[in-house]
Amino acid sequence: MNRKILLALIVLALGIWGLWTAATVFNAKLAYRAPIAPDSTRGATETFTPRGQALELKAEQEAEEARTRPYEEAEYRAFPRIGSRVAIWIVAQLKLLFAAFVLAVPMFALIIEFIGFKTGDPRYDKLAHEFTKLLSPAFAMTAAFGGTLTFMLIILYPKFTNYLMSVFSPTFLPYVLLLFAEAGLFYAYYLTWGKIGPRLHLFLGVMLNLVGTGLMFIANAWLTFMSTPAGVSENGAVISTWEAVNNYTWMPINIHRLIANIAFGGSVAGAYAAYQFLKAKTPEERAHYDWMGYVANLVAVTGFLPLPFAGYWLASEIYAFSQTMGLTMMGGAFSWLFIIQAVLIGNLFLGINYYLWLGMGRVDRKDQKGRRLIPFLLLLITLCFAIWATPRSPITTVEETQAMGGSSHPILGFLGVMSAKNTAVNIMILTTFITFLLYRRSGRKTEGGFFTPGNLLQTLILVAAAGTVIYYGILGYFVDAATRIGFSVPQVLSVLVAMVLVTMIDMMMMRRTEPSDVHWGRMPDRAQYVLIFLAVTFTWLMGLMGYVRSGLRQHWHVYGIVRDTSPDAFTPTLGFATQVVSVTVLIFFALIGVIFGLAGLSGKKAEVAAKSPAPDTAPAGAPTPSPAGAASASQPSGSQPS
Amino acid sequence: MKIPVSVKVLVLTLVTTGFYTMVGQLVPQKEVLPPEVVEISADMTTEEMVANGKEIFEGKGICSTCHKIGGGGANERFPNLEGVAVRAETRIEGETGLEYLAQSLYEPNAFLVPGFAAGMPQINKPPIGLTDGEILMVIAYLQSLGGTPTVTPETELSYAAD
Repeated sequence: MNRKILLALIVLALGIWGLWTAATVFNAKLAYRAPIAPDSTRGATETFTPRGQALELKAEQEAEEARTRPYEEAEYRAFPRIGSRVAIWIVAQLKLLFAAFVLAVPMFALIIEFIGFKTGDPRYDKLAHEFTKLLSPAFAMTAAFGGTLTFMLIILYPKFTNYLMSVFSPTFLPYVLLLFAEAGLFYAYYLTWGKIGPRLHLFLGVMLNLVGTGLMFIANAWLTFMSTPAGVSENGAVISTWEAVNNYTWMPINIHRLIANIAFGGSVAGAYAAYQFLKAKTPEERAHYDWMGYVANLVAVTGFLPLPFAGYWLASEIYAFSQTMGLTMMGGAFSWLFIIQAVLIGNLFLGINYYLWLGMGRVDRKDQKGRRLIPFLLLLITLCFAIWATPRSPITTVEETQAMGGSSHPILGFLGVMSAKNTAVNIMILTTFITFLLYRRSGRKTEGGFFTPGNLLQTLILVAAAGTVIYYGILGYFVDAATRIGFSVPQVLSVLVAMVLVTMIDMMMMRRTEPSDVHWGRMPDRAQYVLIFLAVTFTWLMGLMGYVRSGLRQHWHVYGIVRDTSPDAFTPTLGFATQVVSVTVLIFFALIGVIFGLAGLSGKKAEVAAKSPAPDTAPAGAPTPSPAGAASASQPSGSQPS
Repeated sequence: MKIPVSVKVLVLTLVTTGFYTMVGQLVPQKEVLPPEVVEISADMTTEEMVANGKEIFEGKGICSTCHKIGGGGANERFPNLEGVAVRAETRIEGETGLEYLAQSLYEPNAFLVPGFAAGMPQINKPPIGLTDGEILMVIAYLQSLGGTPTVTPETELSYAAD
């Protein structure tokens, strides 16, 4: 038997054994055991001793108590060792990660398939199919975690779960129906690949995405209601289910998750491509997985760049719902969490830019554009990263506080406020966009140097956007808080408008240019490790932000309505929360590793069966899609990596 | 010896998660416990009420998340409460300082300090949900900020439920 299959079977067997053991232990800890009735077959000598009689009497009393015990609904049940909250936390987060992956991949698979349909290039179709191949085991995993989460909620938090069910019961039937439709459409989409007409197949893909999005929207209603309840009385009685669904944070979370799922799904698919690249044995395989990693990373970046804007909207809705909750988030117990978030997002920006800079090596040196700018771009990103991660009041000793003259540093303290941080993140987004522009330019043969009308206009727009961001950033220090918060809108808008305008100009400028010679596969191994690093960081970030969204409720199951009276009602330290996030991330990658392994095995089988000549499967010469939909061609590759 | 790719990927994943976990340990570690009711007893002195009120102000009442007491610069989002006892006496014509402070806690949007927007929640309602006794102790503390506390456990507020 193939060693890998044997290994997979052993892992599977161990997994089943582990689950069985866990279920048995769990059952033993939770199950109510009725006292055993006295055994009438016991020996007479035992019964007629005083001790025997006493024991028999006690057993009879216990049996009688058990028979007449009234029914009592449990409010909570304890999960062994780690406690109910951590158990639910881990399972819910794993369910969410798999669900995010399962919802995101069909979105970009469909777009890639559509590009293939429009351009007639079969490599896009193959790539979309390969992405979809990752879905099958992930889909099963999502369902398994979904079921586990539901049962655990019913077992561990019966009263609260019952309350949620009473509020949202009208949403359950549509959810179940959509779940069936999702399963049917997914298998139809996956199994009919290449077997039905492309238009019908694309239609299946559209329907799959619509149904998936509908599922997410319904589930989001449940969880956002817990944080920002609406449609119920002060005591929790249901007034309007629709209002409960359409609460303050429902739509912001819908949009935020939709975008974040794309970024996350792209990064995980990129990690898959990176892993396959590192294990590739032929130049053709390397070329294929290099291309796949590039596309996946592009998807991730496309989702990542607008994410802060969706985040602003979500935060403003939280403030609109409750100033108390908003201030707890940004200025209270969770304020330091956003410093951790800054470290993560700073790393994401650095990783994304570094990967794109390395990607310029795919084209010949003479065609590479703006390499001289890279040190400055790196400096700018690092500077913005440092500003974003600057705390207003750092952790200091008494002596250090005295030396600073207060809890904030006299100079650096000014960088720890929102005016500076908003400015920093907007500049980082613009910088990353410039990196992407340079990368895109490297894929085209352009003439005329820098001083062309198009380049000058683009530069002017980017400088104007940066100027607007910095202007409002500085002005924020001299106005009242309410006005200052409003400044984030022109900052964000100037960046968005600049990105759209510059992309449009770029498309027009590149329309009549020749493509550069792109050598897919000519990427160093470290670029692949960057992709894996990005996937881990994205996943960790999702775990952290999931915690803050849920943790903001503090000692409430439903904020201000249903109080948490369990032993886990306290808000844990950030250190503990990060440990739980890390454990969840490691479990996720262990599971996704198995999924990748299975996907790889099925791919190998298909390759052996097809026995197709390798050059045909290489993506060399394939157009490189950009977010704007522009494309550039390349020369045949198969060249060795640098 | 050539290290297998899967081992390298595993190490990278462990190091990355380990790094972020370490960052999480470097920030201040604070466990926030669910608030407990602070009982007011009939024999409590005003000084004890002030001390308890300060504790509620900084803890369960989460007042200090928004309101500073002195030391603030310009552009504060919510009123600085330094000397609030003096201002409370003249804030609304015909209302005593005690009545104004009680109103600002029970019905915070009934009167907004010029220059500030609405945003304060009703303190006697969830999620903060202070009891009438606790609110009385917070008022005692607020009266101590620039003035002399006058409330006692017997003080009755028109807003109080009982």
